[in-house]
Amino acid sequence: MMSSVNLKEIYRSKLSPALLSLESQRKDVVKRILLSVAILLLGIVAFVVGQQSEYGFIPGVLIVIGAFVSFGFAFSKYNSYKQAFKNKVVRKVIESIDPDWNYHPEACISENEYVESGLFQRHWDRYNGDDLISGVIDKTDFRLSELHTQYKTVSVDSKGRRSEHWHTIFKGLFAHADFNKEIRGETFVLPDIAERMFGKWGQKLQKFSPRGELVKLENIEFEKYFVVYSHDQNEARYILTPKIMEAIVHIRQQFDTEIYLSFVGTRVYVAMSFSQDLFEPRLFRSGVRYSDIEQMYYQFNTISVIVNEMNLNTRIWTKE
Amino acid sequence: MNSTLLILLAILVVVALIFIGMYNGLIRRRNEVDNAFGGMDVQLKKRYDLIPNLVASVKEYAKHEKELLNKITELRASALKPDLSVNEKIALDNQISGAIKSMLISVENYPELKANENFIFLQRSLNEVESQISAARRTFNAVVTDYNNGIQVFPNSIIAGMMGMKRKEVFVIQQAERENVDVSQMFNQA
Repeated sequence: MMSSVNLKEIYRSKLSPALLSLESQRKDVVKRILLSVAILLLGIVAFVVGQQSEYGFIPGVLIVIGAFVSFGFAFSKYNSYKQAFKNKVVRKVIESIDPDWNYHPEACISENEYVESGLFQRHWDRYNGDDLISGVIDKTDFRLSELHTQYKTVSVDSKGRRSEHWHTIFKGLFAHADFNKEIRGETFVLPDIAERMFGKWGQKLQKFSPRGELVKLENIEFEKYFVVYSHDQNEARYILTPKIMEAIVHIRQQFDTEIYLSFVGTRVYVAMSFSQDLFEPRLFRSGVRYSDIEQMYYQFNTISVIVNEMNLNTRIWTKE
Repeated sequence: MNSTLLILLAILVVVALIFIGMYNGLIRRRNEVDNAFGGMDVQLKKRYDLIPNLVASVKEYAKHEKELLNKITELRASALKPDLSVNEKIALDNQISGAIKSMLISVENYPELKANENFIFLQRSLNEVESQISAARRTFNAVVTDYNNGIQVFPNSIIAGMMGMKRKEVFVIQQAERENVDVSQMFNQA
């Protein structure tokens, strides 16, 4: 992994000029938005004032329509600003980690891959994501992207009005990498919410899961954070060696967020929750900040942390 | 019918149900222990099956290690004898682990052997089996702990006493085995 000194150097020589050149574009977008808001307000005022005469509302309506056109224009400007940001900045940050990694700003982990992981069983109604990176770290290939899945509920109030509600299933970074041991069944490492909320009773509740048998492991700290289900007790322990458990605890502490892992087929799937949107440009404040770049660098580097901590490049077992 | 009698009968039925539940629970735990030991036995056998090939390929290159190789072969032969008790099996397994480890250390002196493809494959298989054994031991320990807890808590302890269930010992996993890539590291240090 690159040191922070090197990252600073890259920031100074490559990223900060790129960010500076984007600043004018950003300001342009902000101006457009402010202008659109001003037009909209004007339209509303004109509409209210125009109420006094029969056709007086027409100018107001026209101005409001103009405001929406202006908003549309601002939005398309924002999109091109975003695209420029991804290509000139995000791409450079990724290249600084490893020039051979592939970056597709518009693509994301596919629905098939998401389902394959078995991590989130609830069916989604909305599936979004972007910033797909794929590549190889030594002997381990991986794919990583931002992902947001949601499901919809509809409620009807006493007056018969329907309203839709969207609920997040998962939002954050979703990655999968080649696992270095042969796996036959499926093993899941999930946040231990039941035990944290209900203590010992939670443990009783955990016994019932469609994902397989509850596996009790000997690392107390690991057990505090996670609950493990597997179709094979032995295989779960074969995967989750004492070292791997320590590694997972370490990753959990380092990122301080909920982590979901599954070991299915030839892959290890890792989903890390993040509430904010990742790798997006700033709009209402200067985009030229080292801290933003540093954060982005660490988030992309998550995959290296996973591969290294879990020792996925150690290929000493029968799987090559 | 007398209502007192009915109540008594109901209590009796409930007590019987509780008793059956606890009895079944204990039986299940005991079976899990046997099952886990069986799982470990399968892996140990896999390791025994690897030994002849390992010995053959080492013999070819490392002529000075005859004594060690003979010892491993003998240990394997005793481990394959039928009617061994659990404790005997465990003791032999520990000795074999130790002998294989010393053999792998002495292999360091034979670069040709280390580069041999067949040997590399065996080494991978051995690492695989070692990891599986280590996992199976941990499963065994987990179910034995569960069993021990089960027979010692009240009122299970009364039924366990009646059934003659005794506390079982867990495996003491040595520090070196906790890091189950240990064997490989010896090779990687070349």
